[in-house]
Amino acid sequence: MRERVKIVAGYLAGFALLFLVWHLAAVFVVKSALFPSPIPVFVRAQWLIEENILQEQIWASLRRILQGFALGTALGIPIGLAIGSFKPVRVLLEPWTEFFRFIPAVAMITVAVIWFGIGEESKIFLIAYTTIFVIIISTAAGVGAVERNKIRAAQALGASRFQVFALVALPATVPFILTGMRLAMANSFVTIVAAELIASNDGLGKMLWDARLFMEINDIFVALVALGLLGFATDRCFRLAIRAFAGRYNPTM
Amino acid sequence: MALVSLEDIGKTYRGRSGAYEAVRNFSLELAEGEFFCLLGTSGCGKTTVLNMLAGFEAPTAGRITLDGHPVSKPAAERGVVFQGTDSLYDWLNARDNISFGLRLAGVGRAERRAVAERFLALVGLAGAGDKHPAELSGGMKQRIQIARALANNPRILLMDEPFGALDAMTRNILQAELTRIWQEARKTVLFITHDIEEACALATRIGVMKRGPGGTLKTVVPVDLPFPRDRTSDAFMAIFRQVHAAIREEIIAA
Repeated sequence: MRERVKIVAGYLAGFALLFLVWHLAAVFVVKSALFPSPIPVFVRAQWLIEENILQEQIWASLRRILQGFALGTALGIPIGLAIGSFKPVRVLLEPWTEFFRFIPAVAMITVAVIWFGIGEESKIFLIAYTTIFVIIISTAAGVGAVERNKIRAAQALGASRFQVFALVALPATVPFILTGMRLAMANSFVTIVAAELIASNDGLGKMLWDARLFMEINDIFVALVALGLLGFATDRCFRLAIRAFAGRYNPTM
Repeated sequence: MALVSLEDIGKTYRGRSGAYEAVRNFSLELAEGEFFCLLGTSGCGKTTVLNMLAGFEAPTAGRITLDGHPVSKPAAERGVVFQGTDSLYDWLNARDNISFGLRLAGVGRAERRAVAERFLALVGLAGAGDKHPAELSGGMKQRIQIARALANNPRILLMDEPFGALDAMTRNILQAELTRIWQEARKTVLFITHDIEEACALATRIGVMKRGPGGTLKTVVPVDLPFPRDRTSDAFMAIFRQVHAAIREEIIAA
């Protein structure tokens, strides 16, 4: 408990320092209207929150991320398990994963908009797309990394092939899946901003784009700070979930 | 009739760099209740013999039977204790690791718990059931492995240098513990080691292997000493010398 208080205090101090450096840089170094100090940005943020505008934009982006991320994860895990477990499946699907992995989601925005329009479907498709390959690869790597002795021990205790899979290979792979999900979440932030910049009616990316059009420099910074804080919070949640789930038996996580 | 019979078994690995004959013409019969130590230098094929008896690898020659039935794949009747501790399930606590075999067999939760507690006590870890492997020392993990194999009530216990990675003090304590556990559990044990003193302290018979490749049984030394054994006694020393002489030729020749 004391440890947790120390960590939270450290984080708060870290953020305070970040905003202090920003303030000093804006006021004493850059001295330009194009680089506001945090004070007008926070004033603007307060107004946007009071008008319920900022919450709506954050929720629009976050909702898309969560939906696409859930879809990509739900599809990616079984595919990754199949690739890791069965060599014919791996040989068959590796051209798929290795092909699409190098076509970034950002490059798929164009076709996504043509196929699904600028509504929710195109965003969810893009987030799912950016998530699924990371999940597949980390899951398959996890299955491949299960120690041989863990499997042999189960066989010598009378395990069937299915039991070896469900009770040994699967739980041994969970930390890899969770790590893959954490990486995929970071990718999702990149993708959602890019997609909303180009084609959207709302979301933090749209907010950035509109702010540029109307030269609302403070709005740009509000959106950037919101993205940073949102990403930070999401990643902490993931870390906590991983700890709660796997930390007991894997102190390195 | 012997419990386990290995008849003229051989194992040849075929790889890109050609064939490697790990074991050749290996024959051995194990009687019910005995503690057989298979002793040999590294690379003599002793672990290969254990892996074939466990069913992890198939022999390329010969026949293995248990209770007269041929051995072809791993099964609950042949429990295994591995050298490393990576065979334990990190995500399960000690109790669930020990009762893992019972879970596979569909035994109910209450009975699994009772059996796990009994075997935790047998290996001297009563009260440690809630601990995960990451929270246990190397010696404790090996105790859990032994309990896990025994809780499944196998016909024979196969131990592959289980104390090889432990420090000398812990190893000595666990050797004494293993003798006690073996006497209480009344199991047949095949124990692989390269430590002469360990073999003399534990075994009722010691099989010395020729060096590899083509490892095979060189000689079998019966150890007719009472337990617990006094490692400084003349009788113990005599056995030690006899085994030492047999294996020394293999070390020198290597």
